[in-house]
Amino acid sequence: MASRDGGPVMDPARVEPAEAPAGPSRRRLLTGAGLFGAGAVAGGLTGYFTSSATEPSGAGDTSLGQQTIPFYGTHQAGIITPAQDRLAFGTMNVVSGTSRADLRDLLRVWTGAAARMAAGQLVGEETDPNAPPVDTGEAVGSPVSRLTVTIGYGPALFDDRFGLAARKPAALTDLPPLPNENLDPDYTGGDLCVQACADNPLVAFHAVRNLARIGMGVVTHNWMELGFGRTSTTSTAQATPRNLLGFKDGTRNIKAEQTELLNQHVWVGQETDQPWLRGGSYMVTRKIRMFVENWDRDYLQDQENVIGRTKVSGAPLSGGAEFSTPDFAKAGGDGQPAIPADAHIRLASPEHNGGTHILRRGYSFTDGIDPQAGTLLGGLFFIAFMKNPSQFVKLQTALAGDALNEYIHHTGSAVFAVPPGLRPGQHYGDALFT
Amino acid sequence: MSSDGMRTRRRGAAAAIVAASLALVASGCASSGSSSGATGSTGAAAASGDKSSTVKISLTSDGCEPKPAKVPAGAVEFDVTNSGAGSVSEAELRTSDKAHILGEQENLTPGLSGGFSLTIQPGTYKINCPGASQPDWSFTVTGQATGPSWESNPQLVTAVQGYAGYVKQNTADLVSHTKTFCKAIDAGNMNQAMMLYPQARAYYEQIEPVAEVWGSLDTSIDGRWENPVTVKSQFTGFHRLEQMLWQDKSLNGASAMCAGLVKNQQQLLTLVSKAQYNPLEMAAGATDLINEAGTAKISGEEERYSNTDLPVFEANVVASMKVVSLLQPYLQGKDAGLVPQIQQRHDAVETLLTKFKATPGYDQTGYVEYTTVTKSDRRQLSGAVNALAEAMSKMSAQVSG
Repeated sequence: MASRDGGPVMDPARVEPAEAPAGPSRRRLLTGAGLFGAGAVAGGLTGYFTSSATEPSGAGDTSLGQQTIPFYGTHQAGIITPAQDRLAFGTMNVVSGTSRADLRDLLRVWTGAAARMAAGQLVGEETDPNAPPVDTGEAVGSPVSRLTVTIGYGPALFDDRFGLAARKPAALTDLPPLPNENLDPDYTGGDLCVQACADNPLVAFHAVRNLARIGMGVVTHNWMELGFGRTSTTSTAQATPRNLLGFKDGTRNIKAEQTELLNQHVWVGQETDQPWLRGGSYMVTRKIRMFVENWDRDYLQDQENVIGRTKVSGAPLSGGAEFSTPDFAKAGGDGQPAIPADAHIRLASPEHNGGTHILRRGYSFTDGIDPQAGTLLGGLFFIAFMKNPSQFVKLQTALAGDALNEYIHHTGSAVFAVPPGLRPGQHYGDALFT
Repeated sequence: MSSDGMRTRRRGAAAAIVAASLALVASGCASSGSSSGATGSTGAAAASGDKSSTVKISLTSDGCEPKPAKVPAGAVEFDVTNSGAGSVSEAELRTSDKAHILGEQENLTPGLSGGFSLTIQPGTYKINCPGASQPDWSFTVTGQATGPSWESNPQLVTAVQGYAGYVKQNTADLVSHTKTFCKAIDAGNMNQAMMLYPQARAYYEQIEPVAEVWGSLDTSIDGRWENPVTVKSQFTGFHRLEQMLWQDKSLNGASAMCAGLVKNQQQLLTLVSKAQYNPLEMAAGATDLINEAGTAKISGEEERYSNTDLPVFEANVVASMKVVSLLQPYLQGKDAGLVPQIQQRHDAVETLLTKFKATPGYDQTGYVEYTTVTKSDRRQLSGAVNALAEAMSKMSAQVSG
C-alpha cells in the first residue's frame, strides 16, 4: 500500500489544518496508509529489530533483547512490567489552535505507532529516495528490548480547549506545594506524557522521538528526560538496583505479583468519578536532584542512618537481610531507635503513613554538569503509579523531616492520568473522547 | 526536647549532638538545678556507671571555693549561690590552663542561686569567679574516664570543649546582632537594616551544623521560600526579612517578624547551651559547612534577594576552619599530611575570594554584590570549595576513634 502521493505521509505539521476548507483533512492524511504501510520493499529502512521468528537477530542480540512486552492488555504496559533498564520520558503540550478532532487523530496515530514499535517494527517503512524517511532510523538493528510505551494525560488537557472539562477526574489536579521543592517550570507539568522504557537506551529514545515527530503541529515538546538505570524493582523476579546514592532502592516496592496491593493502591477502580479511567492509574513524576558530591563526603554510618538501611546488603538497620521487614520500634545499642526517627525508609514507609503504598518506577538521570557550580546535575527521575495522587502528596508531606533532604532537592514535577490498556482495534483516547 | 522536631541524624559511634545532656540551668532565676539530663547521652555511657556528685559553690567577695574540691568522674552538678557578693556574679568551670570554659552560671546577683551540670572526665580544672579577691580555685576529678573512648583523649576533649564554647559564643552574638538589626527595622531605617542583615546572618552561618539539629527551629530561623513549603504564611525568619528589605522594599510586618526571629534564636541559645558534642560530629559538621557554601551560596539561592552571598560564604569557611584548628593538635599525630592539605586548599579558596573583596563593599559587606561574580568565577570558586570539602571529609575517620 502506498500513501496518497505514493510516498510516506507527511507529519501533521506539513499538512493543512483540518479546518481549511480547500485542503485535505488532517485526519485523512494522518490515517493514511503510508505511515503504517505494511508493504515493505527491499531497500530503505525496514525491520529495526527482530523479535519475530521470521527475521534473524543481529549479532550479539540476547534472548532478553528479543523479548516483546504485549502492547495490548487490561492495563497499559510499562507500569507493572518488570522495570526495564532504560527510560526516555517526554512531556508534550498541545499546540495552540489544535482542535479536539486533531488531538483525537493524533492519539489514534500514536496508538498504531506505539503498537508497531512495541512489536519491534518501524513506525513506517518507505523506499522513496526523494522523501524523508518516516522512521528516524536510529533503532534499526537494535533488538526490541522489551520496549513499552505508556501515555498519560495532564490536568491541563482537561481545560476548555478540547471539550474535555466534563471528563476531568476530580483527583487529577496539579500537586500542592510540597516540602523541599523548588520547581523549575522548564521541568514541570505537561498536557501529555510518553513514557518509553526498554533495556536498550536507543530503543527507548527512538520511541519518544518518533511519537514527538509524528505529533509535530499538534503537540510540541515540553520537557524530556533520559534515565540510565532503573532504581526500582517491580517484580519479585528482579534484583534490587541501586540509585546514585549507592543504596538499594525499591526493596519494599509493590511488585507485579501482589495483585491485591495493586488493586488497593495502584489501579483506578470504581471509586473514580470518571469511568473512562477505570483500570488506569495516576502517574507522578518528580525530578530529584541529588547533591552527590556532598553525599559522597558523608561518613558511611551517617549515610546508613539517613537511609535507614545498610549500604552494602540493604538490610534495615533493625537487622536481618534486605527483605526483612523493618522493625521501626526496635531500639539500637544507644537506646535510640535502630532506624532513626528521621530515616528515609521510616518516614516513607506504609507503617508511618496509614498503610499508604505507591508503585515506584524511577530511573537515575544526569543532565551533565551544572555550568555554574561544576557539580553533577543528576539524581533520581522519580516515577510512581498510584490509585490517587493524594497518596504521593501524603508521602511527600511526611518526608518534610527526612534526613535525606539535606542531599536532595525536587526540581521538577508532573502528574498524569494514565488511561487503561487497549484491546486490538482500540486507540488511545477512544474512551476519553467517546 | 523532641517536641520541636529535633533531628537525631548524627548518631555516630559516639554520642550525637544531644540536647539536655550538658544541662546548663537558665541563668538568673532561682532554680532547683535538678537537671534530668545530667547523665551521659548514650546508653553505653550510662551502662558504664555514672556517678553523680554535687558540688556547692558559694559566691563571696573572697572567691568561689568548690565543696568538695575533689569528685569522682561522671555527672557533676554544680549548685551556685550568691549569698551577698556584690562584686562577683558568676562561676565558671574551666580547663586547668583556663583557656576554655566548660560550664558556667552567669548573672547571679546577691540572693540568687543557680547552677549547671555536666559529665566531667578525670583531670584538674579551675573554678573561676571574676571579680573576687581569689578568682581561681582548683578542682579535681578522679577515677576512670567514662563514656566514649575519645573522652579519655585530652586533645579531643579540649577540641570538643573549645567547639562548645565557640558555638555558644556565636549563638549569643547571633542574638545580640539580630536584636540590633531588628532595632533598625523597628526604626524604619531600611538602609541600616540592609547593612546589618549580612552581619547578623554570618553568626548563624557559623553555627549551622549545630542549629540544623533542631530542624523546625532551623527552618523558622533560616528557611528559604521553599522551606518547609512554598506557602507565604510559612515563610519566616531571616530570609523573609531579606525579601521584605530587598524585594518588597516594605517593612510592613517586619517588626513582628524580626521579634519572632529573635525569640527563636533565644530558644536556640538555650538549646545550644545544653548541647553536647563529639569529635566525629564536629568533623562532619565542618564538611557540612563547606558543602553548604558549595551548594547554596555558589548558586546564589541562599541570599537570592540581597545578593550578599559572599560574606556568608566566608562565614561558612571560617567556621569550618575553626573546627580544623581545634582538631589540629590531635590530627597532627594521626595523619600529618591532612591538615596541611586542608590548609593548602583553604588558601586556594581564600585567594579566589580576595578577587571579590571590596571596601566598604556592597552594603558594607566587604565584598562585591554576588550578581557581579561571573559564571566562570563561580565555577572556579565552586571547584576550590569542593576540593576543600573533600579534604575535610577525611577528618571524620581520624577523630572518631
